This record gives sequence, structure tokens and C-alpha cells, in this order.
Amino acid sequence: MNIEQHIKDSLTQVAQLANCHLITDIEQDTVLLQSGLDSLGFAMLVAQLEEDLGIDPFSEMQIAIYPRTFGEFVKIYQLALKA
Amino acid sequence: MTKLVVVTGASRGLGLTICQQLLVSGYHVLALARSQSPMLTGLLAEYSSTLNFVAADLSDLENISSLCSKLVQQYGRPYALVNNAAVGYDGVLATMHNSEITKLLDLNIQAPILLCKYLLRPMLLNQNGRIVNISSIIARTGFNGLSVYAASKSALEGFSKSLAREVGKAGITVNCVAPGYMQTDMTQSLQGDKLESIKRRSPLGRLATPDDAAAAVLYLLSEQAAAITGSIITVDAGSAA
Repeated sequence: MNIEQHIKDSLTQVAQLANCHLITDIEQDTVLLQSGLDSLGFAMLVAQLEEDLGIDPFSEMQIAIYPRTFGEFVKIYQLALKA
Repeated sequence: MTKLVVVTGASRGLGLTICQQLLVSGYHVLALARSQSPMLTGLLAEYSSTLNFVAADLSDLENISSLCSKLVQQYGRPYALVNNAAVGYDGVLATMHNSEITKLLDLNIQAPILLCKYLLRPMLLNQNGRIVNISSIIARTGFNGLSVYAASKSALEGFSKSLAREVGKAGITVNCVAPGYMQTDMTQSLQGDKLESIKRRSPLGRLATPDDAAAAVLYLLSEQAAAITGSIITVDAGSAA
């Protein structure tokens, strides 16, 4: 599975649910807070990914980490899925 | 589709009564408690298709995340969460053991916050949901020997109001029901003159019952209560009036 594409698809899906307008091109260096999704939308994204992938890497971490960019967000999921 | 409601502290007292009323009203109930009581076992036999028991020790905070994941995987996205489980150690603060203070705050405030955190998520995806946190009249009136319990309930009310603001736009309501003294296992140490004094001071001349408080929970879960969020419904037979 291409996790990056899966996250992008989920992002689009939750943006519609949360009534948020995403910017056209989400790239690796896109700053999450400038993607168009609000903070509640990100909570929904984490919830959707947990349902799809069966993991919540943020709850499993020993310390609080907040990814700044889309690339950092994807990396956290890639690492968690490898673990 | 039958609406799924998670109720904590479901084996006795108010939690059990809430389960009974929910089942009569046609909800599917997930009853969480450390162990089954004979009353809950009886209810399980009566409502075998719409009541499920899940053994859970909510003071084990580290496990709440995985508990919630399992619940959602097995039973689907819940419509509502009723945070009822609590302990009410009675004793003056100056001699209360630190371990009891920690245990009370873990179960009465940290556990409900974590349950809200993890069971909110499926509600966010549904863009619909209800959370009812069981507070107590003690959050506002104060009572000799219940300072830590009072702190936990005041915290729960403050938490509920802010959370209501946070998730309102996702169609989720967050409210509290604050019962006055009810005759349950938790308040059995309250007897004699103290109990009579509470009854006498109540405008209705009686204590509120678990059925009275459960009815307020049922109302908050109903369609009719869709516009109520960030509120505290006091059910105390008027004692705090």
C-alpha cells in the first residue's frame, strides 16, 4: 500500500466531512496548518487513519510530537507501520 | 439503526439504572465495569441482543486507548458515551492518603477525559454524537470530607464546557448531569441525621433517585436535546435551589 497516497485520500475525505477547503497541491513540504484543514479536521484524519490502518502512532509515542509538514506526518505513519 | 451507547460504572447504582432506561428506550448498550454484579447479569439475560458487558478497569489509564480501539472495532462507532464511573472516598483531606487522592483523580477525571478523547474520534467521523459526564451537586455546593471528590467533579464540569465548544461544529454535544444525594452504594455511609437533614432541606422533601438522574441522561441523548450542549442539569430534588 502507498501510505502517502492513502493519507492524501483520507485528507480529502475528512476535509469534505469537516467542510474545509484544502489547497490544491499537498506536497511533502506543505505546512499542515496551511493545508486548509483545521485542528478538528486533523483529529478526524487521525481517527480515520486509525480505522483504516489500525494504528494511532501519536498515542503510542512516549512523548508528544506534532508534525509540522505533510511529509513529517506521512513519515510518522511509515515508521509506525514498519515497527 | 440501533444507537450504540457506552456506559461506564455500569454494574450498580446510577450506571446500572442508566443502562436499564437506555435498554427500555431501544438503545444498544455497552456496559463497562470491573466486574458483573448480579443485577447486571440479570439485565444481560433479559436484553441479550442489545446489552454487552465489557470488563474494564478504568483506573488503568495506559489501557484506555486500546480498550476504546477494541470497542469500536468490535461494536462499531458509538453514538454516545456516558462517563459515570467514579469513586467517592469520604475523609478529611489532612489525613487522606496520597495514594487515595491519586486514585480518585485518575478514575474520576483522567479516565473520563481519555475515554472522551478516544471515543470522540468515531463520533467526529460520524459528525454526530453525545457525551454525558456524570458530575455531582458537590461540584458546586461543597461538603465536609469530600474535597477531593468535589475537585474531580468541578474539573469534569469545566472540562465538559470547553469540550462542548471544541466539538460542537462536528455535531457532538457534551453535557453534565449533576445528581444530588441519591441512595446508592456510593452514598451508603451517609445515614442517620445527615441523611435526614438533606431530605428535610430539599424543597421536595426527598432525595433524588437514580431513576430521576438517569432520566436526565436519557433526555440529553434524545433528539429533543440536540440544541443543548455545555450545560449542567442538576437533579437533586431542589436541594441546591
